[in-house]
This record gives sequence, structure tokens and C-alpha cells, in this order.
Amino acid sequence: MDHLLLLSLSLTSLMQPTSSMNEQFLKKWQMGLQIFRPSIDNTSVSERKRAIKLSADVAMASLRKGTTCWSRALIQKAATQDNFLVRQMLSGIKEETLINKKLPKIVCHRKIVRRSKKILMRRKSKSAMEEVAAKAKKLVKRKTQGLRNIVPGGEFMSNNVLLIQETLDYIVSLQTQVNVMRSIVDAADAGVER
Amino acid sequence: MMMMNGEATEAELFLNCADMSVLERQRAQLNYHHLPGFFSNSSTINGGEIDDGFLASAGLDLPEIYGEVHGDARISVSPGNITNESGNSKKRKFGCVDTETKVFNEKKKMMMMDREVEVEEEEEKSKITEQSTKSIMKMKNKAKKEQNSCSNDSSKVTKDSQRTDYIHVRARRGQATDSHSIAERARREKISERMKFLQDLVPGCEKITGKAGMLDEIINYVQSLQRQVEFLSMKLATVSPRLDFNIDDIFAKEVVSAPMMNLPNTVMPPHMMVNSGYPHDMVNSGYVHFNPMQQVVTSSDPLACFNNGQSATMWDSDVQNLYSSLGV
Repeated sequence: MDHLLLLSLSLTSLMQPTSSMNEQFLKKWQMGLQIFRPSIDNTSVSERKRAIKLSADVAMASLRKGTTCWSRALIQKAATQDNFLVRQMLSGIKEETLINKKLPKIVCHRKIVRRSKKILMRRKSKSAMEEVAAKAKKLVKRKTQGLRNIVPGGEFMSNNVLLIQETLDYIVSLQTQVNVMRSIVDAADAGVER
Repeated sequence: MMMMNGEATEAELFLNCADMSVLERQRAQLNYHHLPGFFSNSSTINGGEIDDGFLASAGLDLPEIYGEVHGDARISVSPGNITNESGNSKKRKFGCVDTETKVFNEKKKMMMMDREVEVEEEEEKSKITEQSTKSIMKMKNKAKKEQNSCSNDSSKVTKDSQRTDYIHVRARRGQATDSHSIAERARREKISERMKFLQDLVPGCEKITGKAGMLDEIINYVQSLQRQVEFLSMKLATVSPRLDFNIDDIFAKEVVSAPMMNLPNTVMPPHMMVNSGYPHDMVNSGYVHFNPMQQVVTSSDPLACFNNGQSATMWDSDVQNLYSSLGV
């Protein structure tokens, strides 16, 4: 279902974060920071940073309202860090239920895969062209695995189409997050310098 | 589960040139097929080419051919593409308009996608039967047939290519009854489509062709964005102890000012926000906020800042709110 949704969403060429997205993220983040406020005050810098980042991530993920895989995975990860506060932040929206959902992970036991590939290799005789193609395939495969490691919830995405779609959406959300945070930091800096 | 085919790099270089037209055409085709009755007319509009949608696949598969067969076929493709484009400009425009009406973040048109996927699958199956009767002269498809003979149901394909003198646009004949390969082809097309979008999104990717390079760039970009978030949150953490009470006000301010912030194309530009024109005002507003907190209140300063801004009235009301909230 998310697959189809994202398919439709990605059909447009409008890929940049919009100002409305910025505002929404800002609002949610503000609310989240207020919830996190008790833990923020009087703690170390690293703790504060953790709380800030956590609230920002949950705000970013909640913008998607559970439609994308990465947002759900991100919320789950945040919940493992600070379950209570995250729940408070999501406060009764359906994301709460998403916290408990468990998806099947896609696990590739490398040794087994390698062994079976070796067996297959022995039977086939490869031409030069095929070898090049096979190497290119391997390279691409390795990189998609790298992408899966980076995008939250990548291990749960069963096919590559979904992975790339999720990456698209994740990149846009990251861009809004960075934009908003940077503007806040700039404003704070300007104020501090005085 | 890796479903992407490996492609020689030189072949992938060509993919990018052919990509625009074939993808657009495919999209146009798919969108057009939502209209009832279009399918019957498609052959006439195309001037004999039935399945323009599958030109997309044909185009996308070309790199694999070129990597494996011979370089001559590469040259012949471009004229073929151009002639196709001129014939289908109408359709493509319609398709493009259709896609642009969808907003990336807001609209959810799952039903449309359902239909689109179904139509795609149906198209492929029905077109396979029609292919046996109709034929079109295209060099690339001959090469494509040869490629199919290398990779898939080899005996069937060679038989088909020997039987007819014509070269077919969609060389799907070899894989006709194999639902797996149809699905695989559809998936490859989808992947290439998404990669194109990613190319638009990730800065500095216009010249990079090929999945491996693109994936590299994407990974780097995502990593850099994540690192930026970390860095910015750390910075906020160090700044915030002095400004605890102000965070809400800053937020309120920024929400009201409706910032139109766009991430600039270079990755780590510390003050590139000047481009949009807003940050200057926001900086001023931030300055105003923090002034009271540090108890260096000069009544003239905030208003002076606001007068530099665009809408003085808006700032004034916000200043009132700010001072009242601080007073409480």
C-alpha cells in the first residue's frame, strides 16, 4: 500500500521541500521539544543533543503519518531510546500503534549465499561480457545494501523499487529537517553574537 | 533481492541519453491508457507503432544490448528515438501535464496507481499477442532480440527473429509468456524511473550515469544530510542553555514568517540561506528575541530591525506578543 502511495507521489517533478512542509515540521518539532523540555533542562550537552535530535526525528517521521516505511522505522528506533516521551509526542495518532508493529527483516546470510553462488559459478562458463555484467551487478548490489543500511528501515524493504522510493521521500524530509534546523541555529547564533 | 541487471558502463552512458524520451513516452502511454477507448486508437496515432509504452522498456534495455552486441546499433537508436518523439509529442505532453498536477507531498492517489499498474500488466500481455501480427522496422529491436537470445528463452527468440524480416519495437516476444520476465522488466523500468527522480533531487548528479555511480552519490548525500542534522542538533544543544525560554518564541516567529527555505545545491554551505532572502529577516528576528533574554533591552533596536523587514505590521504584532509573553 505504501508502495503504491509512493509510486503516485513520486510521479511529480516537485521534489523540493516546500514551505508548508517546513512549517509543519517546525510545529511538530516545537511541540516535541516542549514535551522533552523537562529532560532537556539541567542536563549535559550530549543529553540535550540527543533529545533535540530525537524530537526532530520523530517530528520529521510523524509528518508522514505512517505512510512510509522509513518513518515507521524511525519512530520505532526513537521509541527504543525513549518510549514514554515519544509516545507522548505522537499523542494518540495512529503512529502509536506503529511503535509496536514488527516487520519481518530481510536477512541474507552471507556465507550461505556465497557458497551457493560458488556452486552456480562452477557450472556456468562465462564469456568476457557476462563477467563484466556480473561484476557490475555485484557492485550495484553492494551499493544497494549500503543504501539499506543508511535509510532507516531499509532492511525491511523487500524490493529495490520500494527502497528507492523511500529514499526519495527520506531525502526530501531530511532536507526540510536540515533547512529548519539550520535557520534556527542561524537565528540563535545571530542573537548570541550580540 | 537484487533484480537490477548489471550493465556495462559504456552501455549505461547511453542509457541517460535515451532515458528522457522513453520514460516520458512510457509515462504518457500509461497515463493515456486511463482513458477508455484509447487503446484501440493507439495504433493509428502512433502511425503503426502499437505499444509506445514499451518503447520505454526497449530504450531501457538498449544499454544491455550495447554492452554485449556491437556498437553500431548504438548509433542507429537516436534517429529512431527522434522519429518516435515527433510522432508522439501530443501524447507525451498530455502525460506530462497529467503528472505535474500531482503534488509530491500532499496528494495520495493510490487508486490511480493501482489502475496504472494493472493497465501496465494488461497492456503487456495483450500487446504480446498483437505483436505477432504487426511489425515495425527498427534497428534497435533487432539488437534487442539478439540480447534476448543471450539472456532469456533463447530458442524461442531466435526462432522468432528468423521467421520474420521485420524488427519489432517491443522485443518482448521472446519473453512473451513468461510472467516473471514481464514483471522483472516492469520492475526494472520502475527502478530506472525512480533513479531519474533521485537524480533531480540529489545535487550534482546530472553528469553521473549508471546505477552504481548514482547509488554512490545518493548514499553520500544521505550520509551528509544525516551528519548535518547531527551537527546542527549539537549546535543547538550548546546554544540552548542560554536561550531556554526563547525557543518557543523563535518557533512562533518562524512559523509566522512563513519561511521559504530551499536547500541550496552545495552540500555544506554555512550561510547560503541568503539566497532565499528570508534569512536576513529571520536573523533579525532572532536577534530581537534573544535581546530581552540577555537583558540588554534597547527599545529602539527591535523596531529598527522590523522596519528593515518586509511587512512591518506583521512584525509589530509579533513584537507585542513577544514582549507580553516575556512579561508574564
